[in-house]
Amino acid sequence: MHHARAILWAQWRTVRNFYPRGGIAWTAVIGVFWYGFWLLASFAGSQLAANPANLNLLRTALPGALLIVVLYWQVVPLLMAATGASLDLRKLQAYPIPVPQLFSIEVLLRVTSGIEMVMVLCGIGSGILRNPQLPKWAAFGLAPFILFNLFLAVGLRDLLLRMMARRRFREIIVFLLVMCSALPQLLLTRASGTHAWGLFARDSWNGWPWMAAANLAQGIAPAASLGILALWTMLAAWFGHEQFMRTLSFDKDAAGAAGTRGARTQGLLETFFRLPSTLLRDPLGALVEKEIRALFRSPRFRLVFLMGFTFGVVILLPVSSLGRASWFGNDYLTAVSVYSLLLLSEACFWNSFGFDRSAAQIYFLAPVPFSRVLIGKNLSALFFIALEVAAVTLVCVLVRMPLDLRRICEAYAVAGVVTLFLMSAGNILSIHQPRGVNPGTQIRSNAAGRVQAMLVVIYPVAFIPAALAYLARYVFETEWAFFGVLAFDAIAGFIVYRVALDSAVQAADRLKEQMITSLSVGDGPIAS
Amino acid sequence: MSDVSPAIHVEGLRKVYGDKAAVDGLSLSVARGSFFGFLGPNGAGKTTTIKMLMGLAPPTSGSIELLGLPMPERALEIKKLIGLVPDESLLFDHLTGGEFIEFVGRIYGLDRAVARERSAELLDLFELGSSSGKLINEYSKGMRKRVAMAAALIHRPQLYLMDEPFEGVDAVGARLMKDILLEQVRHGATIFLTSHVLEVVERLCDRVAIINQGKIVLEGTMAELRHASETLEDAFVRAIGVDRAVETLDWL
Repeated sequence: MHHARAILWAQWRTVRNFYPRGGIAWTAVIGVFWYGFWLLASFAGSQLAANPANLNLLRTALPGALLIVVLYWQVVPLLMAATGASLDLRKLQAYPIPVPQLFSIEVLLRVTSGIEMVMVLCGIGSGILRNPQLPKWAAFGLAPFILFNLFLAVGLRDLLLRMMARRRFREIIVFLLVMCSALPQLLLTRASGTHAWGLFARDSWNGWPWMAAANLAQGIAPAASLGILALWTMLAAWFGHEQFMRTLSFDKDAAGAAGTRGARTQGLLETFFRLPSTLLRDPLGALVEKEIRALFRSPRFRLVFLMGFTFGVVILLPVSSLGRASWFGNDYLTAVSVYSLLLLSEACFWNSFGFDRSAAQIYFLAPVPFSRVLIGKNLSALFFIALEVAAVTLVCVLVRMPLDLRRICEAYAVAGVVTLFLMSAGNILSIHQPRGVNPGTQIRSNAAGRVQAMLVVIYPVAFIPAALAYLARYVFETEWAFFGVLAFDAIAGFIVYRVALDSAVQAADRLKEQMITSLSVGDGPIAS
Repeated sequence: MSDVSPAIHVEGLRKVYGDKAAVDGLSLSVARGSFFGFLGPNGAGKTTTIKMLMGLAPPTSGSIELLGLPMPERALEIKKLIGLVPDESLLFDHLTGGEFIEFVGRIYGLDRAVARERSAELLDLFELGSSSGKLINEYSKGMRKRVAMAAALIHRPQLYLMDEPFEGVDAVGARLMKDILLEQVRHGATIFLTSHVLEVVERLCDRVAIINQGKIVLEGTMAELRHASETLEDAFVRAIGVDRAVETLDWL
């Protein structure tokens, strides 16, 4: 038992330490808002379930609510594991803790990572307890449902963590997780009335665990519902235990060693990496080549690049389907291209030294003007943006969105103009607000509040020139006006870029010590 | 448990990653109360071996006995008797140094108050007291090693398994750690450490094995290894077969 107590204590300390300690007040305010919200949801659930007049509403809403509980409980802990707030019990294998106890502790830890859902379920349970129309014992029908979620969370987390340790699987898994977040929007606009929505409905299949839990909590067919829920819980317990045991004996190094690239792929990649050197003279060629190699090898960058032409397409597709002939349907390619710019912006613009923190010192030591370094970074950003727009175009062809040469030119021109302004601001921000980023993590774990606040202003300003081009097209009803204004924007963009570059170079000379210090803080691979 | 059994006895140990054997048929015996150095160049299989001894990586084949007990059959009993200085990845980054040491103490069954008291004392001993509020992920490499060693000492184990314990540690810290380890050996503990810092091994260890490409290429007491007027470095270079004249590049 002392093991369990010690581990739960360490988990509590880990979660507490995970949040920045500099701003306790800020963390407390966020905590009050966050848990206050769930407390409110719990209270609302309790009031709804307690009122006998709401019995019909409860019948309709409870299965859907419990399905949402399942989805939330299973997704949030996965994100927690990715960002490091969850204790990794595999590290405890070297210590004298019996394995069955480790499993029980892991199940208990899943309570801490899904505490919001426990609050909601407790609220609903207390409401059922107070509802004179429902049997008192029905409230406890939610207890096996909690257990089911705990076991399932253990199993899914371990399964995904193991898969993510394998080469090439990592991005796919995180990508699928991220794509899941686009699912509700797709369902909202495309799948109304389909089977997917049926899962949330009161007349869904009674064999689902959330349906069985909802029925049990309302005293409907108690024996059958309890049997079904018990079966699901046993299955989840078996799955959780099996996955946990596999994770304990999982050899991360062996998994990492498997799946290395073949010689042919390596050769093709090498040609791809060396492409800029054939067009640019050194040192610029070397700088761009290094940048392309580094970004391409960063799982984090690969993920945002992948999301640019997939997530962007999926998330905006439902909006475009509101009318293919609408303005949005017409400018879909441009919209997705610009959206992908936003996704690439952290690596390409706002924190361009964050991904290669160790190299930052070399830039100041090498006999190369610092402006060349920034231009090299900007050229590699342009290279990836051009690739991204090409990929978006390809996906648009696949999903049969309206596409012609004019639209492709428009997408490249608008993305190019916006990029010029974003790069101008990005060069300055990269010098003044550098942050060390771990390129090995797929999900970002921290955000610089001040930078985020600045971006709220910078993004709209950077889009103004492109918006003026659209305004010109609307007013003059001609493509000449549109492309004319864009050309003017490009010239203005070059001037702004030039001025911003000079300013960034001067600032870098002044702030280099501060920059190097900022870049050396964090959990990236070069932290020492 | 028999007192005459070696602290570590390994027979035909093998670990394969993909198509490469990181450890290839390793057999080894470490007597109780000895200070054993496990040397090798980078990628020789030192860390893989120590991970298998710690029970963190299952061997592909072969047998392991620690303190006369077979691993993994009696893993729980063994783990209670050993102290670990693992590679950095096994530290909990979001705990402070003090919290981590206290946590390890409690895992080994120490009373909470005792664990806390010893944790504070160990932090002071390893000169980490001034950084007690810092998270481990804010520690330097040397500080991480020191906190790992402090945690390994908290339950007074009989056998220490240490993976590169002096890596990144400054001269003062290393001297302190060496003194503590020698004191432990004087009290009957066995120390098995991997290192590629030959000076450290030469000064501390009474017996050494050199591993290269997963196989032991040389083993013996320090005196046996340094026959004639050879230094350990000479013996090491000879054993791993890279003793060659320094080549110069014509442009250099």
